[in-house]
Amino acid sequence: MTAKPRRGTGILRLMGHYFRFNLSANMAYKGSFIIQVFGMALNNSAFIIFWYFLFQRIGGDIKGFDFNDVMFLWALAAMGFGMSVVLFGNTPFISRVIYSGELDVYLLQPKPVLPNLLASRMIVSGWGDIAYGLILFSATQPMSLQSWALFLLFSVLMLLVLTAVRTLYHSLTFFFGNAESFAQMAGEMTITFMLYPGSIFKGAPMIVLHSLIPAALVGYIPIRVFKEFDPVLMAVVVLADLAVVAAAAGLFKLGLRRYESGNRMATRL
Amino acid sequence: MAPAVTVKGLSKHFRTKVKQAGVAASVRGIFRPGYKEIDAVAGIDFQIEAGEILAFIGPNGAGKSTTIKLITGILYPDAGEIDVLGLNPHRQRRELAYRIGTVFGQKSQLWFHLPPIDSFHLLGTIYDLSRTQTQHRIDFLTEVFELSEFMDQPVRKLSLGQRIRCEMAGSLIHEPEILFLDEPSIGLDVVVKQRIRDLIKRINEERGVTIFLTSHDAGDIEKICRRAMVINHGAIVWDGTVNEMKYSLLNQRILAVRMDGPAEVRTPGARVLKRKDHSMKIQIDLDTTRTETVIAELMKQSSIEDITISATPMEEVITHIYESEHGS
Repeated sequence: MTAKPRRGTGILRLMGHYFRFNLSANMAYKGSFIIQVFGMALNNSAFIIFWYFLFQRIGGDIKGFDFNDVMFLWALAAMGFGMSVVLFGNTPFISRVIYSGELDVYLLQPKPVLPNLLASRMIVSGWGDIAYGLILFSATQPMSLQSWALFLLFSVLMLLVLTAVRTLYHSLTFFFGNAESFAQMAGEMTITFMLYPGSIFKGAPMIVLHSLIPAALVGYIPIRVFKEFDPVLMAVVVLADLAVVAAAAGLFKLGLRRYESGNRMATRL
Repeated sequence: MAPAVTVKGLSKHFRTKVKQAGVAASVRGIFRPGYKEIDAVAGIDFQIEAGEILAFIGPNGAGKSTTIKLITGILYPDAGEIDVLGLNPHRQRRELAYRIGTVFGQKSQLWFHLPPIDSFHLLGTIYDLSRTQTQHRIDFLTEVFELSEFMDQPVRKLSLGQRIRCEMAGSLIHEPEILFLDEPSIGLDVVVKQRIRDLIKRINEERGVTIFLTSHDAGDIEKICRRAMVINHGAIVWDGTVNEMKYSLLNQRILAVRMDGPAEVRTPGARVLKRKDHSMKIQIDLDTTRTETVIAELMKQSSIEDITISATPMEEVITHIYESEHGS
Protein backbone atom coordinates (compact mmCIF):
# COMPACT_ATOMS: atom_id res chain seq x y z
CA MET A 1 0.00 0.00 0.00
CA THR A 2 1.53 3.31 -1.06
CA ALA A 3 -0.97 6.06 -0.32
CA LYS A 4 -3.65 6.51 2.29
CA PRO A 5 -6.55 8.86 1.68
CA ARG A 6 -6.94 12.05 3.74
CA ARG A 7 -10.48 11.38 4.86
CA GLY A 8 -13.05 14.00 5.69
CA THR A 9 -12.06 16.65 3.15
CA GLY A 10 -15.21 18.60 2.44
CA ILE A 11 -17.58 18.33 -0.44
CA LEU A 12 -16.51 21.89 -1.40
CA ARG A 13 -13.13 20.65 -2.69
CA LEU A 14 -14.95 18.12 -4.85
CA MET A 15 -17.40 20.75 -6.12
CA GLY A 16 -14.46 22.97 -7.05
CA HIS A 17 -12.90 20.06 -8.93
CA TYR A 18 -16.19 19.29 -10.71
CA PHE A 19 -16.45 22.96 -11.73
CA ARG A 20 -13.00 22.99 -13.37
CA PHE A 21 -13.52 19.50 -14.75
CA ASN A 22 -16.90 20.21 -16.37
CA LEU A 23 -15.70 23.52 -17.74
CA SER A 24 -12.82 21.75 -19.42
CA ALA A 25 -15.16 18.99 -20.70
CA ASN A 26 -17.43 21.64 -22.26
CA MET A 27 -14.43 23.47 -23.73
CA ALA A 28 -13.67 20.27 -25.66
CA TYR A 29 -16.36 21.56 -28.05
CA LYS A 30 -15.49 25.27 -28.21
CA GLY A 31 -17.89 26.10 -31.06
CA SER A 32 -20.85 24.57 -29.25
CA PHE A 33 -19.84 26.32 -26.01
CA ILE A 34 -19.82 29.77 -27.63
CA ILE A 35 -23.07 29.21 -29.54
CA GLN A 36 -24.89 28.03 -26.41
CA VAL A 37 -23.66 30.92 -24.25
CA PHE A 38 -24.46 33.66 -26.77
CA GLY A 39 -27.65 31.97 -27.94
CA MET A 40 -29.05 31.97 -24.42
CA ALA A 41 -28.16 35.64 -23.82
CA LEU A 42 -29.79 36.58 -27.14
CA ASN A 43 -32.92 34.56 -26.40
CA ASN A 44 -33.37 36.27 -23.02
CA SER A 45 -32.86 39.73 -24.56
CA ALA A 46 -36.00 39.36 -26.68
CA PHE A 47 -38.11 39.60 -23.52
CA ILE A 48 -36.71 43.02 -22.57
CA ILE A 49 -38.23 44.45 -25.73
CA PHE A 50 -41.57 42.80 -24.95
CA TRP A 51 -41.73 44.27 -21.40
CA TYR A 52 -40.50 47.69 -22.56
CA PHE A 53 -43.36 48.08 -25.05
CA LEU A 54 -45.89 46.67 -22.60
CA PHE A 55 -45.01 49.29 -19.96
CA GLN A 56 -45.04 52.02 -22.63
CA ARG A 57 -48.62 51.10 -23.56
CA ILE A 58 -50.07 50.85 -20.06
CA GLY A 59 -48.51 53.95 -18.60
CA GLY A 60 -45.42 52.51 -16.92
CA ASP A 61 -46.96 50.83 -13.86
CA ILE A 62 -48.49 47.43 -13.04
CA LYS A 63 -49.77 47.43 -9.46
CA GLY A 64 -46.70 49.22 -8.09
CA PHE A 65 -44.16 47.53 -10.44
CA ASP A 66 -42.35 49.56 -13.11
CA PHE A 67 -40.12 48.46 -15.99
CA ASN A 68 -36.95 48.51 -13.84
CA ASP A 69 -38.59 46.32 -11.17
CA VAL A 70 -39.48 43.69 -13.75
CA MET A 71 -35.94 43.91 -15.13
CA PHE A 72 -34.63 43.27 -11.59
CA LEU A 73 -36.73 40.10 -11.49
CA TRP A 74 -35.44 39.06 -14.90
CA ALA A 75 -31.83 39.72 -13.90
CA LEU A 76 -32.35 37.77 -10.67
CA ALA A 77 -34.06 34.85 -12.44
CA ALA A 78 -31.33 34.68 -15.07
CA MET A 79 -28.54 34.79 -12.48
CA GLY A 80 -30.18 32.23 -10.18
CA PHE A 81 -31.09 29.89 -13.03
CA GLY A 82 -27.69 30.27 -14.69
CA MET A 83 -25.81 29.60 -11.46
CA SER A 84 -28.07 26.63 -10.73
CA VAL A 85 -27.35 24.89 -14.03
CA VAL A 86 -23.65 25.82 -14.04
CA LEU A 87 -22.95 24.64 -10.49
CA PHE A 88 -25.66 21.95 -10.18
CA GLY A 89 -26.21 20.99 -13.80
CA ASN A 90 -27.48 17.51 -13.02
CA THR A 91 -30.61 18.87 -11.31
CA PRO A 92 -32.87 18.57 -14.41
CA PHE A 93 -31.67 14.97 -14.86
CA ILE A 94 -32.28 13.65 -11.33
CA SER A 95 -35.30 11.53 -12.33
CA ARG A 96 -33.41 9.98 -15.23
CA VAL A 97 -30.41 9.22 -13.00
CA ILE A 98 -32.76 7.51 -10.52
CA TYR A 99 -34.84 5.39 -12.88
CA SER A 100 -31.93 4.38 -15.10
CA GLY A 101 -29.87 3.15 -12.15
CA GLU A 102 -27.06 5.67 -12.72
CA LEU A 103 -27.34 6.70 -9.08
CA ASP A 104 -25.27 3.57 -8.30
CA VAL A 105 -22.08 5.42 -9.24
CA TYR A 106 -22.74 8.16 -6.65
CA LEU A 107 -23.78 5.70 -3.95
CA LEU A 108 -20.46 3.92 -4.36
CA GLN A 109 -18.46 7.08 -3.71
CA PRO A 110 -17.58 8.33 -0.22
CA LYS A 111 -19.35 11.66 -0.57
CA PRO A 112 -22.86 12.92 0.30
CA VAL A 113 -24.98 11.65 -2.58
CA LEU A 114 -27.07 14.71 -3.40
CA PRO A 115 -24.37 17.42 -3.74
CA ASN A 116 -22.11 14.91 -5.49
CA LEU A 117 -24.87 14.10 -7.98
CA LEU A 118 -25.96 17.70 -8.58
CA ALA A 119 -22.48 19.15 -9.05
CA SER A 120 -21.21 16.43 -11.35
CA ARG A 121 -22.63 18.07 -14.48
CA MET A 122 -22.57 21.61 -15.91
CA ILE A 123 -25.05 22.96 -18.45
CA VAL A 124 -22.93 25.35 -20.41
CA SER A 125 -25.73 27.64 -21.63
CA GLY A 126 -26.06 28.75 -17.98
CA TRP A 127 -23.03 31.00 -18.55
CA GLY A 128 -25.17 32.94 -21.04
CA ASP A 129 -27.87 33.40 -18.38
CA ILE A 130 -25.31 34.58 -15.82
CA ALA A 131 -23.82 37.10 -18.28
CA TYR A 132 -27.31 38.28 -19.21
CA GLY A 133 -28.31 38.68 -15.54
CA LEU A 134 -25.20 40.71 -14.70
CA ILE A 135 -25.51 42.98 -17.74
CA LEU A 136 -29.24 43.53 -17.20
CA PHE A 137 -28.75 44.36 -13.52
CA SER A 138 -25.90 46.78 -14.32
CA ALA A 139 -27.99 48.51 -17.00
CA THR A 140 -31.26 48.90 -15.11
CA GLN A 141 -30.52 49.09 -11.36
CA PRO A 142 -28.80 51.60 -9.05
CA MET A 143 -25.04 51.10 -8.75
CA SER A 144 -24.38 50.88 -5.03
CA LEU A 145 -22.59 48.42 -2.82
CA GLN A 146 -25.84 47.55 -1.03
CA SER A 147 -27.78 46.92 -4.25
CA TRP A 148 -25.04 44.65 -5.62
CA ALA A 149 -24.70 42.82 -2.30
CA LEU A 150 -28.46 42.23 -2.14
CA PHE A 151 -28.61 41.21 -5.78
CA LEU A 152 -25.84 38.66 -5.34
CA LEU A 153 -27.33 37.34 -2.10
CA PHE A 154 -30.78 36.93 -3.67
CA SER A 155 -29.17 35.29 -6.70
CA VAL A 156 -27.58 32.69 -4.40
CA LEU A 157 -30.95 32.17 -2.67
CA MET A 158 -32.63 31.80 -6.06
CA LEU A 159 -29.96 29.26 -7.04
CA LEU A 160 -30.61 27.27 -3.87
CA VAL A 161 -34.43 27.44 -4.06
CA LEU A 162 -34.65 26.60 -7.76
CA THR A 163 -32.27 23.65 -7.29
CA ALA A 164 -34.26 22.57 -4.22
CA VAL A 165 -37.67 22.80 -5.92
CA ARG A 166 -36.48 20.68 -8.83
CA THR A 167 -34.78 18.20 -6.48
CA LEU A 168 -37.92 17.98 -4.34
CA TYR A 169 -40.19 17.09 -7.25
CA HIS A 170 -37.64 14.87 -9.01
CA SER A 171 -37.29 12.93 -5.73
CA LEU A 172 -40.88 11.77 -6.20
CA THR A 173 -39.41 9.42 -8.82
CA PHE A 174 -38.20 7.26 -5.92
CA PHE A 175 -41.83 6.81 -4.87
CA PHE A 176 -43.91 6.99 -8.06
CA GLY A 177 -41.65 5.72 -10.85
CA ASN A 178 -40.98 8.77 -13.00
CA ALA A 179 -41.68 12.35 -11.93
CA GLU A 180 -39.48 13.94 -14.62
CA SER A 181 -42.19 15.95 -16.43
CA PHE A 182 -43.81 17.01 -13.17
CA ALA A 183 -40.49 18.23 -11.76
CA GLN A 184 -39.67 20.05 -14.98
CA MET A 185 -43.04 21.78 -14.82
CA ALA A 186 -42.56 22.79 -11.17
CA GLY A 187 -39.16 24.33 -11.98
CA GLU A 188 -40.53 26.20 -14.99
CA MET A 189 -43.54 27.47 -13.02
CA THR A 190 -41.26 28.77 -10.26
CA ILE A 191 -39.29 30.80 -12.81
CA THR A 192 -42.34 31.91 -14.80
CA PHE A 193 -44.30 33.15 -11.78
CA MET A 194 -41.33 34.98 -10.27
CA LEU A 195 -40.93 37.00 -13.47
CA TYR A 196 -44.34 38.68 -13.10
CA PRO A 197 -45.09 41.50 -10.65
CA GLY A 198 -46.05 39.58 -7.49
CA SER A 199 -48.72 42.15 -6.57
CA ILE A 200 -51.03 40.84 -9.33
CA PHE A 201 -51.55 37.56 -7.39
CA LYS A 202 -54.02 37.36 -4.47
CA GLY A 203 -55.60 34.66 -2.28
CA ALA A 204 -54.99 30.99 -3.03
CA PRO A 205 -52.49 31.58 -5.86
CA MET A 206 -50.41 33.70 -3.48
CA ILE A 207 -50.38 30.86 -0.91
CA VAL A 208 -49.22 28.41 -3.61
CA LEU A 209 -46.48 30.84 -4.66
CA HIS A 210 -45.19 30.91 -1.08
CA SER A 211 -45.22 27.12 -0.68
CA LEU A 212 -45.62 24.49 -3.43
CA ILE A 213 -44.23 26.74 -6.17
CA PRO A 214 -42.16 29.11 -4.03
CA ALA A 215 -41.82 31.85 -6.67
CA ALA A 216 -42.71 34.55 -4.13
CA LEU A 217 -39.77 33.52 -1.94
CA VAL A 218 -37.32 34.20 -4.76
CA GLY A 219 -39.06 37.06 -6.61
CA TYR A 220 -41.81 39.02 -4.90
CA ILE A 221 -40.27 39.20 -1.40
CA PRO A 222 -36.67 39.84 -2.57
CA ILE A 223 -37.76 42.80 -4.69
CA ARG A 224 -39.63 44.28 -1.72
CA VAL A 225 -36.46 43.97 0.39
CA PHE A 226 -34.37 45.33 -2.48
CA LYS A 227 -36.57 48.41 -2.88
CA GLU A 228 -36.94 49.04 0.84
CA PHE A 229 -34.55 47.12 3.05
CA ASP A 230 -36.33 45.32 5.91
CA PRO A 231 -34.04 43.12 8.05
CA VAL A 232 -36.94 41.13 9.53
CA LEU A 233 -38.42 40.31 6.13
CA MET A 234 -34.90 39.54 4.92
CA ALA A 235 -34.38 37.05 7.77
CA VAL A 236 -37.79 35.47 7.18
CA VAL A 237 -37.14 34.94 3.47
CA VAL A 238 -33.69 33.45 4.12
CA LEU A 239 -35.18 31.02 6.66
CA ALA A 240 -38.08 30.14 4.33
CA ASP A 241 -35.63 29.50 1.47
CA LEU A 242 -33.49 27.30 3.70
CA ALA A 243 -36.62 25.38 4.75
CA VAL A 244 -37.31 24.60 1.06
CA VAL A 245 -33.71 23.38 0.70
CA ALA A 246 -34.05 21.22 3.84
CA ALA A 247 -37.35 19.73 2.59
CA ALA A 248 -35.74 18.79 -0.74
CA ALA A 249 -32.68 17.23 0.91
CA GLY A 250 -34.94 15.35 3.37
CA LEU A 251 -37.21 13.91 0.68
CA PHE A 252 -34.24 12.86 -1.44
CA LYS A 253 -32.65 11.10 1.55
CA LEU A 254 -35.93 9.35 2.33
CA GLY A 255 -36.19 8.30 -1.31
CA LEU A 256 -32.75 6.68 -1.26
CA ARG A 257 -34.17 3.94 0.97
CA ARG A 258 -36.58 3.08 -1.83
CA TYR A 259 -34.00 3.22 -4.60
CA GLU A 260 -34.22 0.12 -6.79
CA SER A 261 -31.27 0.69 -9.12
CA GLY A 262 -31.31 -0.72 -12.66
CA ASN A 263 -29.13 -2.25 -15.33
CA ARG A 264 -29.21 0.28 -18.16
CA MET A 265 -25.93 0.87 -19.97
CA ALA A 266 -24.59 4.26 -18.93
CA THR A 267 -21.70 6.58 -19.71
CA ARG A 268 -20.79 9.85 -18.00
CA LEU A 269 -21.00 12.87 -20.28
CA MET B 1 -8.23 -13.21 10.15
CA ALA B 2 -11.80 -11.87 10.12
CA PRO B 3 -13.83 -12.61 6.96
CA ALA B 4 -13.96 -9.78 4.41
CA VAL B 5 -17.71 -10.27 3.87
CA THR B 6 -20.32 -11.97 6.06
CA VAL B 7 -23.93 -12.22 4.93
CA LYS B 8 -26.71 -13.74 7.04
CA GLY B 9 -30.34 -14.25 6.02
CA LEU B 10 -30.13 -11.51 3.40
CA SER B 11 -33.37 -10.79 1.55
CA LYS B 12 -34.56 -8.21 -0.93
CA HIS B 13 -37.80 -8.16 -2.82
CA PHE B 14 -39.08 -5.78 -5.46
CA ARG B 15 -42.64 -4.84 -6.26
CA THR B 16 -43.03 -4.52 -10.01
CA LYS B 17 -45.97 -3.13 -11.93
CA VAL B 18 -47.50 -5.62 -14.38
CA LYS B 19 -49.67 -4.78 -17.35
CA GLN B 20 -51.43 -6.82 -20.01
CA ALA B 21 -50.72 -5.92 -23.64
CA GLY B 22 -52.85 -3.30 -25.40
CA VAL B 23 -54.24 0.20 -24.92
CA ALA B 24 -57.34 -0.95 -22.96
CA ALA B 25 -55.11 -2.69 -20.41
CA SER B 26 -53.02 0.49 -20.12
CA VAL B 27 -56.14 2.54 -19.32
CA ARG B 28 -57.35 -0.12 -16.85
CA GLY B 29 -53.90 -0.05 -15.26
CA ILE B 30 -54.28 3.64 -14.38
CA PHE B 31 -57.27 2.89 -12.13
CA ARG B 32 -56.46 -0.65 -11.03
CA PRO B 33 -52.71 -1.18 -11.29
CA GLY B 34 -51.49 -4.75 -10.91
CA TYR B 35 -48.30 -5.60 -9.07
CA LYS B 36 -46.02 -8.61 -8.84
CA GLU B 37 -43.70 -9.33 -5.92
CA ILE B 38 -40.25 -10.58 -6.92
CA ASP B 39 -37.89 -12.17 -4.39
CA ALA B 40 -34.63 -11.01 -5.93
CA VAL B 41 -32.61 -12.32 -2.99
CA ALA B 42 -34.29 -14.86 -0.71
CA GLY B 43 -32.49 -15.30 2.61
CA ILE B 44 -28.92 -16.06 1.58
CA ASP B 45 -25.94 -16.74 3.87
CA PHE B 46 -22.25 -16.80 2.97
CA GLN B 47 -18.80 -15.64 3.98
CA ILE B 48 -15.84 -14.50 1.92
CA GLU B 49 -12.36 -14.69 3.41
CA ALA B 50 -9.91 -11.83 2.96
CA GLY B 51 -7.70 -12.38 -0.08
CA GLU B 52 -10.13 -14.80 -1.75
CA ILE B 53 -11.14 -14.69 -5.42
CA LEU B 54 -14.78 -15.66 -5.58
CA ALA B 55 -16.83 -16.28 -8.70
CA PHE B 56 -20.46 -15.36 -8.08
CA ILE B 57 -22.43 -16.82 -10.94
CA GLY B 58 -26.00 -17.44 -11.99
CA PRO B 59 -28.33 -17.03 -14.96
CA ASN B 60 -29.80 -13.65 -15.88
CA GLY B 61 -32.21 -12.44 -13.21
CA ALA B 62 -30.87 -14.88 -10.61
CA GLY B 63 -30.03 -12.15 -8.08
CA LYS B 64 -26.30 -11.58 -8.68
CA SER B 65 -26.39 -7.83 -9.28
CA THR B 66 -28.91 -7.29 -6.48
CA THR B 67 -26.61 -9.14 -4.07
CA ILE B 68 -23.61 -7.00 -5.09
CA LYS B 69 -25.70 -3.84 -4.74
CA LEU B 70 -26.79 -4.89 -1.25
CA ILE B 71 -23.23 -5.70 -0.18
CA THR B 72 -21.85 -2.42 -1.54
CA GLY B 73 -24.55 -0.27 0.11
CA ILE B 74 -26.42 0.76 -3.05
CA LEU B 75 -29.63 -1.00 -2.01
CA TYR B 76 -31.26 -1.32 1.39
CA PRO B 77 -32.00 -4.93 2.39
CA ASP B 78 -35.49 -5.98 3.48
CA ALA B 79 -34.07 -8.44 6.01
CA GLY B 80 -30.79 -9.96 7.10
CA GLU B 81 -27.34 -8.78 8.13
CA ILE B 82 -24.37 -7.71 6.03
CA ASP B 83 -20.88 -7.09 7.36
CA VAL B 84 -18.22 -5.89 4.94
CA LEU B 85 -14.77 -5.26 6.49
CA GLY B 86 -16.51 -4.78 9.85
CA LEU B 87 -18.91 -2.16 8.45
CA ASN B 88 -22.63 -2.12 7.79
CA PRO B 89 -22.93 -1.09 4.11
CA HIS B 90 -26.16 0.88 4.30
CA ARG B 91 -25.46 2.57 7.65
CA GLN B 92 -21.76 3.21 6.98
CA ARG B 93 -21.90 3.61 3.21
CA ARG B 94 -19.33 6.40 3.01
CA GLU B 95 -16.79 4.73 5.31
CA LEU B 96 -17.14 1.54 3.29
CA ALA B 97 -16.76 3.35 -0.04
CA TYR B 98 -13.16 4.27 0.91
CA ARG B 99 -12.34 0.58 1.27
CA ILE B 100 -14.04 -1.05 -1.70
CA GLY B 101 -13.77 -0.63 -5.45
CA THR B 102 -16.28 -1.56 -8.12
CA VAL B 103 -16.25 -2.15 -11.85
CA PHE B 104 -19.68 -2.51 -13.40
CA GLY B 105 -19.21 -3.50 -17.05
CA GLN B 106 -22.40 -1.62 -17.94
CA LYS B 107 -21.74 1.57 -15.99
CA SER B 108 -18.75 3.79 -16.47
CA GLN B 109 -17.14 6.04 -13.92
CA LEU B 110 -14.99 7.71 -16.58
CA TRP B 111 -16.06 10.89 -18.39
CA PHE B 112 -16.84 10.05 -22.00
CA HIS B 113 -15.43 13.22 -23.58
CA LEU B 114 -12.30 13.56 -21.43
CA PRO B 115 -9.09 11.52 -21.29
CA PRO B 116 -8.80 8.92 -18.49
CA ILE B 117 -6.11 10.96 -16.72
CA ASP B 118 -8.67 13.71 -15.98
CA SER B 119 -11.17 11.19 -14.58
CA PHE B 120 -8.43 9.64 -12.42
CA HIS B 121 -7.57 13.03 -10.92
CA LEU B 122 -11.27 13.63 -10.22
CA LEU B 123 -11.57 10.20 -8.59
CA GLY B 124 -8.54 11.12 -6.46
CA THR B 125 -10.47 14.15 -5.18
CA ILE B 126 -13.60 12.04 -4.61
CA TYR B 127 -11.54 9.68 -2.43
CA ASP B 128 -9.84 12.58 -0.62
CA LEU B 129 -6.36 11.84 -1.94
CA SER B 130 -3.93 14.74 -2.18
CA ARG B 131 -2.68 15.69 -5.64
CA THR B 132 0.68 14.02 -4.91
CA GLN B 133 -0.99 10.83 -3.66
CA THR B 134 -3.25 10.73 -6.73
CA GLN B 135 -0.30 11.24 -9.09
CA HIS B 136 1.62 8.49 -7.31
CA ARG B 137 -1.31 6.08 -7.74
CA ILE B 138 -1.85 7.09 -11.38
CA ASP B 139 1.84 6.40 -12.13
CA PHE B 140 1.60 2.99 -10.47
CA LEU B 141 -1.68 1.99 -12.17
CA THR B 142 -0.51 3.29 -15.56
CA GLU B 143 2.42 0.92 -15.34
CA VAL B 144 0.43 -2.10 -14.09
CA PHE B 145 -2.41 -1.71 -16.61
CA GLU B 146 -0.16 -0.39 -19.41
CA LEU B 147 -2.23 2.72 -19.99
CA SER B 148 0.45 5.22 -21.03
CA GLU B 149 -0.34 4.94 -24.76
CA PHE B 150 -3.90 6.23 -24.44
CA MET B 151 -3.94 8.16 -21.14
CA ASP B 152 -4.40 11.45 -23.02
CA GLN B 153 -7.09 10.29 -25.45
CA PRO B 154 -10.78 10.98 -24.78
CA VAL B 155 -12.54 7.89 -23.39
CA ARG B 156 -14.93 7.92 -26.36
CA LYS B 157 -11.97 7.14 -28.65
CA LEU B 158 -10.76 4.10 -26.66
CA SER B 159 -11.45 0.49 -27.62
CA LEU B 160 -13.63 -1.53 -25.22
CA GLY B 161 -10.58 -3.39 -23.89
CA GLN B 162 -8.69 -0.15 -23.26
CA ARG B 163 -11.74 1.33 -21.55
CA ILE B 164 -12.18 -1.67 -19.23
CA ARG B 165 -8.50 -1.46 -18.25
CA CYS B 166 -9.03 2.22 -17.45
CA GLU B 167 -12.20 1.39 -15.49
CA MET B 168 -10.28 -1.14 -13.42
CA ALA B 169 -7.43 1.29 -12.83
CA GLY B 170 -9.96 3.96 -11.80
CA SER B 171 -11.60 1.61 -9.32
CA LEU B 172 -8.21 0.95 -7.70
CA ILE B 173 -7.13 4.59 -7.35
CA HIS B 174 -7.87 4.56 -3.59
CA GLU B 175 -6.29 1.12 -2.95
CA PRO B 176 -9.50 -0.75 -2.02
CA GLU B 177 -9.35 -3.94 0.04
CA ILE B 178 -12.19 -5.58 -1.91
CA LEU B 179 -12.83 -5.24 -5.63
CA PHE B 180 -16.31 -6.04 -6.95
CA LEU B 181 -16.27 -6.86 -10.64
CA ASP B 182 -19.63 -7.22 -12.36
CA GLU B 183 -19.18 -8.70 -15.86
CA PRO B 184 -15.78 -7.08 -16.49
CA SER B 185 -15.04 -9.15 -19.60
CA ILE B 186 -18.38 -8.62 -21.34
CA GLY B 187 -17.87 -8.00 -25.07
CA LEU B 188 -14.07 -8.37 -25.01
CA ASP B 189 -12.07 -10.47 -27.49
CA VAL B 190 -10.11 -13.51 -26.25
CA VAL B 191 -6.74 -11.75 -26.10
CA VAL B 192 -8.03 -8.80 -24.10
CA LYS B 193 -10.06 -11.15 -21.87
CA GLN B 194 -6.89 -13.06 -21.00
CA ARG B 195 -5.08 -9.81 -20.24
CA ILE B 196 -7.87 -8.65 -17.91
CA ARG B 197 -7.79 -12.04 -16.17
CA ASP B 198 -4.02 -11.76 -15.67
CA LEU B 199 -4.46 -8.30 -14.20
CA ILE B 200 -7.14 -9.46 -11.77
CA LYS B 201 -4.88 -12.31 -10.61
CA ARG B 202 -1.96 -9.92 -10.25
CA ILE B 203 -3.96 -7.46 -8.10
CA ASN B 204 -5.01 -10.36 -5.89
CA GLU B 205 -1.58 -11.94 -5.56
CA GLU B 206 0.56 -8.82 -5.23
CA ARG B 207 -1.77 -6.46 -3.34
CA GLY B 208 -3.91 -9.01 -1.46
CA VAL B 209 -7.14 -7.50 -2.80
CA THR B 210 -10.20 -9.69 -2.24
CA ILE B 211 -12.01 -10.21 -5.55
CA PHE B 212 -15.77 -10.69 -5.91
CA LEU B 213 -16.42 -11.48 -9.55
CA THR B 214 -19.65 -12.04 -11.44
CA SER B 215 -19.35 -13.33 -14.97
CA HIS B 216 -21.18 -15.41 -17.53
CA ASP B 217 -17.82 -16.37 -19.01
CA ALA B 218 -16.78 -19.87 -17.89
CA GLY B 219 -13.17 -18.99 -18.75
CA ASP B 220 -13.15 -16.16 -16.18
CA ILE B 221 -14.31 -18.57 -13.50
CA GLU B 222 -11.98 -21.40 -14.45
CA LYS B 223 -8.87 -19.31 -14.95
CA ILE B 224 -9.12 -16.80 -12.12
CA CYS B 225 -11.26 -18.14 -9.28
CA ARG B 226 -10.57 -20.73 -6.62
CA ARG B 227 -14.10 -20.70 -5.25
CA ALA B 228 -17.46 -20.43 -6.98
CA MET B 229 -20.88 -19.67 -5.62
CA VAL B 230 -23.98 -20.17 -7.76
CA ILE B 231 -27.17 -18.21 -7.19
CA ASN B 232 -30.49 -19.01 -8.82
CA HIS B 233 -33.96 -17.67 -8.07
CA GLY B 234 -32.40 -15.58 -5.28
CA ALA B 235 -30.97 -18.59 -3.39
CA ILE B 236 -27.43 -19.98 -3.19
CA VAL B 237 -27.59 -23.37 -4.93
CA TRP B 238 -23.91 -24.27 -4.99
CA ASP B 239 -20.89 -23.14 -2.99
CA GLY B 240 -17.51 -24.86 -3.31
CA THR B 241 -14.15 -24.82 -5.03
CA VAL B 242 -13.98 -24.46 -8.79
CA ASN B 243 -12.16 -27.82 -8.96
CA GLU B 244 -14.96 -29.54 -7.05
CA MET B 245 -17.43 -27.96 -9.37
CA LYS B 246 -15.59 -29.12 -12.42
CA TYR B 247 -14.54 -32.61 -11.39
CA SER B 248 -17.14 -33.77 -8.87
CA LEU B 249 -20.43 -32.11 -9.55
CA LEU B 250 -20.79 -33.31 -13.11
CA ASN B 251 -19.04 -36.68 -12.74
CA GLN B 252 -18.06 -37.10 -16.36
CA ARG B 253 -14.95 -37.17 -18.54
CA ILE B 254 -14.55 -36.38 -22.21
CA LEU B 255 -12.30 -38.80 -24.10
CA ALA B 256 -10.97 -37.66 -27.48
CA VAL B 257 -9.26 -40.48 -29.45
CA ARG B 258 -7.79 -41.00 -32.89
CA MET B 259 -7.63 -44.69 -33.88
CA ASP B 260 -5.77 -46.28 -36.76
CA GLY B 261 -8.84 -48.29 -37.75
CA PRO B 262 -12.61 -48.60 -37.13
CA ALA B 263 -13.87 -49.01 -33.56
CA GLU B 264 -17.25 -49.06 -31.75
CA VAL B 265 -18.12 -48.13 -28.17
CA ARG B 266 -20.63 -50.40 -26.44
CA THR B 267 -19.72 -49.99 -22.75
CA PRO B 268 -22.77 -48.79 -20.77
CA GLY B 269 -22.17 -45.20 -19.55
CA ALA B 270 -20.05 -44.27 -22.59
CA ARG B 271 -21.63 -42.24 -25.39
CA VAL B 272 -20.12 -41.09 -28.67
CA LEU B 273 -20.71 -37.36 -29.01
CA LYS B 274 -18.90 -36.84 -32.31
CA ARG B 275 -17.27 -39.08 -34.91
CA LYS B 276 -15.15 -38.29 -37.97
CA ASP B 277 -13.27 -41.03 -39.86
CA HIS B 278 -11.44 -42.92 -37.08
CA SER B 279 -11.60 -40.03 -34.56
CA MET B 280 -14.20 -39.93 -31.78
CA LYS B 281 -15.25 -37.75 -28.90
CA ILE B 282 -16.75 -39.91 -26.14
CA GLN B 283 -18.57 -38.80 -22.99
CA ILE B 284 -17.98 -41.16 -20.04
CA ASP B 285 -20.29 -41.18 -17.03
CA LEU B 286 -17.99 -42.10 -14.10
CA ASP B 287 -20.95 -43.16 -11.94
CA THR B 288 -21.57 -46.01 -14.43
CA THR B 289 -18.17 -46.98 -15.79
CA ARG B 290 -14.45 -46.14 -15.69
CA THR B 291 -12.34 -44.34 -18.28
CA GLU B 292 -9.86 -47.23 -18.48
CA THR B 293 -12.70 -49.69 -19.28
CA VAL B 294 -13.63 -47.63 -22.34
CA ILE B 295 -9.98 -47.27 -23.41
CA ALA B 296 -9.49 -51.04 -23.04
CA GLU B 297 -12.56 -51.71 -25.19
CA LEU B 298 -11.20 -49.42 -27.92
CA MET B 299 -7.71 -50.97 -27.79
CA LYS B 300 -9.16 -54.42 -28.36
CA GLN B 301 -10.53 -53.22 -31.72
CA SER B 302 -7.69 -51.06 -33.03
CA SER B 303 -4.51 -49.16 -32.04
CA ILE B 304 -4.81 -45.70 -30.48
CA GLU B 305 -2.80 -43.02 -32.33
CA ASP B 306 -3.65 -40.10 -30.03
CA ILE B 307 -5.72 -39.66 -26.86
CA THR B 308 -6.86 -36.78 -24.59
CA ILE B 309 -8.89 -37.04 -21.38
CA SER B 310 -10.55 -33.89 -20.06
CA ALA B 311 -13.19 -32.87 -17.60
CA THR B 312 -16.57 -31.66 -18.84
CA PRO B 313 -16.33 -28.10 -20.17
CA MET B 314 -17.14 -25.49 -17.53
CA GLU B 315 -20.05 -24.11 -19.56
CA GLU B 316 -21.73 -27.51 -19.41
CA VAL B 317 -21.13 -27.83 -15.67
CA ILE B 318 -22.68 -24.42 -15.09
CA THR B 319 -25.62 -25.20 -17.38
CA HIS B 320 -26.08 -28.47 -15.50
CA ILE B 321 -26.26 -26.59 -12.18
CA TYR B 322 -28.78 -24.09 -13.53
CA GLU B 323 -30.98 -26.79 -15.02
CA SER B 324 -30.64 -29.52 -12.42
CA GLU B 325 -32.54 -29.89 -9.18
CA HIS B 326 -29.83 -27.76 -7.50
CA GLY B 327 -30.99 -24.89 -9.53
CA SER B 328 -34.70 -25.39 -9.37
